[in-house]
Amino acid sequence: MGGLGSYGLVLGLVLAGYGAVATAVGGRTERPALVESARRTAYALFATILVVNGAMLVALLRNDFTLRYVAGNSSLATPAFFRALALWAADDGSLLLWNLILAGYIAAVALRFRRDRPGTFPYALSVLFLVQVFYLILVNGPARPFATLAHPPADGVGPAPLLQNHPLMAVHPPFLYLGFIGFTVPFAFAIAALLAGHGTDEWVSIIRRWTLAVWCFLTVGLLLGALWSYSVLGWGGYWAWDPVENVALLPWLLATAFLHSVMLQERRGMARLWNVALVIGAFSLTTFGTFLTRGSVLSSVHAFAQTPVGPAYLTFLAVVMLVGFGLVMWRLPTLRTPARLDSAVSREAAFVGNNMLLLAATAIILLGTVFPLIVEATSGEQITVGGPYFKSALSPVFLFLLLLAGTAPLLPWRVTNRARALRRLRVPVIAAALTMVATALAGVDGAAPLAGVDGATAVAGFGLATLVLVANGQEVVTGSAIGRRGGRGGILRAMVRGRRRYAGLVVHVGLALAAAGITASSTLGQQTEVTLKTGQSAVFGGYILRYEGLRTDQQAQRVVLTAPLTVKKVGGGGAGTLDPRMNLYPAASEPIGSPSIQRGVVWDLYASVISLQEEGDSATFRFYRNPGVNWLWLGGFVMALGGVAAVWPAQHGRDRHEAPVSPAPARTADKVGAV
Amino acid sequence: MSPVTRRRALLLGVVAVVVSAAAVVLSVGLRRDPSAVPSPLIGRTAPDFTLNQLDGKPFTLSTLRGQIVVVNFWASWCTECHTEQSTLNQTWQRFQDSGVVVVGVNFEDTTDDAIDYVRTASVSYPVVEDSDSRTALAYGLRGVPETFVIDRTGRIVDRIIGPVDATRLTNQITSMLPAGEQ
Amino acid sequence: MTATAILPRVRAQLSLILILLALLAAGITLAVVAMRGDGANQSEAQQVQQIAAGLHCPVCKDLSVADSPAPLAQQMREQIAQKLRAGETPDQIRAQFVAAYGDSVLMSPPKRGLSAAVYVLPTIVIAAGLAVATMLVRRWVRRPELESDEDDAAPMAASDRRAVLKAVERLREEEAA
Repeated sequence: MGGLGSYGLVLGLVLAGYGAVATAVGGRTERPALVESARRTAYALFATILVVNGAMLVALLRNDFTLRYVAGNSSLATPAFFRALALWAADDGSLLLWNLILAGYIAAVALRFRRDRPGTFPYALSVLFLVQVFYLILVNGPARPFATLAHPPADGVGPAPLLQNHPLMAVHPPFLYLGFIGFTVPFAFAIAALLAGHGTDEWVSIIRRWTLAVWCFLTVGLLLGALWSYSVLGWGGYWAWDPVENVALLPWLLATAFLHSVMLQERRGMARLWNVALVIGAFSLTTFGTFLTRGSVLSSVHAFAQTPVGPAYLTFLAVVMLVGFGLVMWRLPTLRTPARLDSAVSREAAFVGNNMLLLAATAIILLGTVFPLIVEATSGEQITVGGPYFKSALSPVFLFLLLLAGTAPLLPWRVTNRARALRRLRVPVIAAALTMVATALAGVDGAAPLAGVDGATAVAGFGLATLVLVANGQEVVTGSAIGRRGGRGGILRAMVRGRRRYAGLVVHVGLALAAAGITASSTLGQQTEVTLKTGQSAVFGGYILRYEGLRTDQQAQRVVLTAPLTVKKVGGGGAGTLDPRMNLYPAASEPIGSPSIQRGVVWDLYASVISLQEEGDSATFRFYRNPGVNWLWLGGFVMALGGVAAVWPAQHGRDRHEAPVSPAPARTADKVGAV
Repeated sequence: MSPVTRRRALLLGVVAVVVSAAAVVLSVGLRRDPSAVPSPLIGRTAPDFTLNQLDGKPFTLSTLRGQIVVVNFWASWCTECHTEQSTLNQTWQRFQDSGVVVVGVNFEDTTDDAIDYVRTASVSYPVVEDSDSRTALAYGLRGVPETFVIDRTGRIVDRIIGPVDATRLTNQITSMLPAGEQ
Repeated sequence: MTATAILPRVRAQLSLILILLALLAAGITLAVVAMRGDGANQSEAQQVQQIAAGLHCPVCKDLSVADSPAPLAQQMREQIAQKLRAGETPDQIRAQFVAAYGDSVLMSPPKRGLSAAVYVLPTIVIAAGLAVATMLVRRWVRRPELESDEDDAAPMAASDRRAVLKAVERLREEEAA
């Protein structure tokens, strides 16, 4: 298996190299045969990398300890499911997955453009192959997953305990990678367009749809990461402002900005330069993100790397940024378009605001994350920049963004009819104000009412989330009402025709839910820490929780200590059980806790056991009351769903509303002021 | 150079400078060893503690003023601590008559496990239990094993994170002893 | 003016009044909440929570001492509680941890020296962003009509175009009503 894998990787490198050169030469010298051969090579490359990944998978399942990676990440006791997942449990293996997904994207591009292709296709394909070359050099050079051991051990170490505790490990990395790696495609087309010096409008629709698809994957990937943090790590929260979490968020923010400002380019021919810069920036940030995660620059939960790949990534990142932004600077004259707005109160202006806010958020998170590094580089001191800083710095930015998300969809393009806008805003604003008053007055049972600056921020958060929800919901309803007048099937037809708009509204609705969830969980949560002897009870959150005594369970790869609790409502009536656990893995010096969660519509009852005394006769628990967390999961899911609806190919395989190449005057009825 | 070209060259230069500056800052991070955290205690007086030994008798650090003290934080569940045990035992045997004391501080452990370990590892120097981790916190402990070397005046001169390297510890001690007693 | 012409105007005024009232209510609510004190006497648990939330758990990767389930964090919380009972102030307790662990044990950097820059950064970034956005929108709105390939028809003055669009809006409204 090791041999097959190693040779496969070398073959892949050769194929990718050939592809890069052939398509670039073919495009330059106008030899379509060369370009076509390079396009087919993409399929061969994907097949090769697939086989290589298969080889590693088989090696893991068979516990082939002659391979260093298998010895370090699998063991005889590990269940088969987690042995398979060990493929992406550590740096070297996850690079195999990275290469696979990248090859998959290149094959998808090759497939998509097998017939008609834009003029920029050869160069874009070349850039894609070049990026693949870099990642294949990594697995053939500094990080070699198929390296063998001279003396294979009898048993492996097993995957890191934290990574084999929960099935979510199966989906979080793949989706995150699909999101991260996907940014390579828009980047490639942007570079190609810059190199060609023309056709900057041709690429807009291509890049928009690919970026939207990638955005969907990244949204799901981030959501799953938060869900994993909440359900597995046992600290009661879902986002720790870990450097690796932060850098995963940055390309998502830029992609969101791009998805809005690209509409400026489609409809008004504006912001060309800006959009290219955003695409290059997003890709640079994903490269920077992998560098930070794998280069051991900052220590965090994901730091599975103290490997020699760091300098390689740094060089690649530098090249990407120099080439990307250098090309932008070079092509500045062709990108500049005279921008015009008809009114400062219009959707275009709102998009400008949206982009500025998202960029501000990106800058704040980026600078805050690397700040400890800068301080250490200059003065040698070590400091921490943690959650409280980011929360207080970003709250105003996200509140303003919510405000825009609740008002901009009600604003027409170009110019606003004041009366009409006010009428549309009426119900959402009133609903928002009512929500704010209600949350200010309410005291959630047991918790103190919201107070102080933090409390005001929370009240504003709830109010604005309501604004977004009602405003966008209202637009969906009124839009479909107009469609209904078109007779039966009219609603559906209207929705399909205005699909992008409705999808956008749905995404905003999801955003509102997520925002409400985040606000609730950040400000209205309660927690307590209590030590209970067997049979003793504690009262928390309207429930009586009784510790029933330790239960031990010896499994193949770990010892599971369960501290069961019976849960009863204070007013009487049973409510079930909670089973927080401590898992003892031989490889880990400290036990890994698993929380037990009773999920409810409004709030979760969450229990984790953090230590045991007297042979388990006494246990220390942390109980949490987490409101709104499920709104976050639901909202995020709705956002992803909206994105999928927007990107799903239209009936004829191509979106009938592909953007006109030049900014045509908005003459048709459905473009003036409304949809 | 036409003004357009000059402006482009200038902008290109700006991009290059920004990227290089970022690369320098980031590469600093690469060269840093992520596990080495400097201690603010070096050069300061070692925090005093009074803890119970494994047989229950109390032990106070400041009574050792005037001798060189090696304080080693360890735990029976800590696999890396096993690897440094022979070094510590040898250091104790070699230097105990030269005014050097090795003290083991048991961290987040049970008395029974500690006694078992001490017996099987043949630890003969004094061992105390830090049951509420008060001492560990006072010494800025981030994990086990960690070893602090304290000079005769009671000042911390070195902090070793991870298993002790025999050469480093020996050199540290001998540098503080008068020539005859080494 | 016919009744159908007046009605939208009245409705617009009504909308404006309602919206302004709602905004007023919102503003008052925010002000009231912001002024509300936290409650003079915090329980000991809440005080420990607050101090612990500002400290970085030394054995964790990015959790505060309040959030961390690690045993050392638990012992830190107990020690904070003991010190509070002994009469020490939160500042004194924090200073003791900083003396042992250095500044990196604080969740947010101290406000002196180079670290102070990180606190100014968000304000600068947000202010710069708002300034740029305002400037761009202003510049783009004021820019005069261009003879670009934008319009096939004869170029229209911006004000005329606005008038036409408004008229079309009104027509559509009346049609929809």
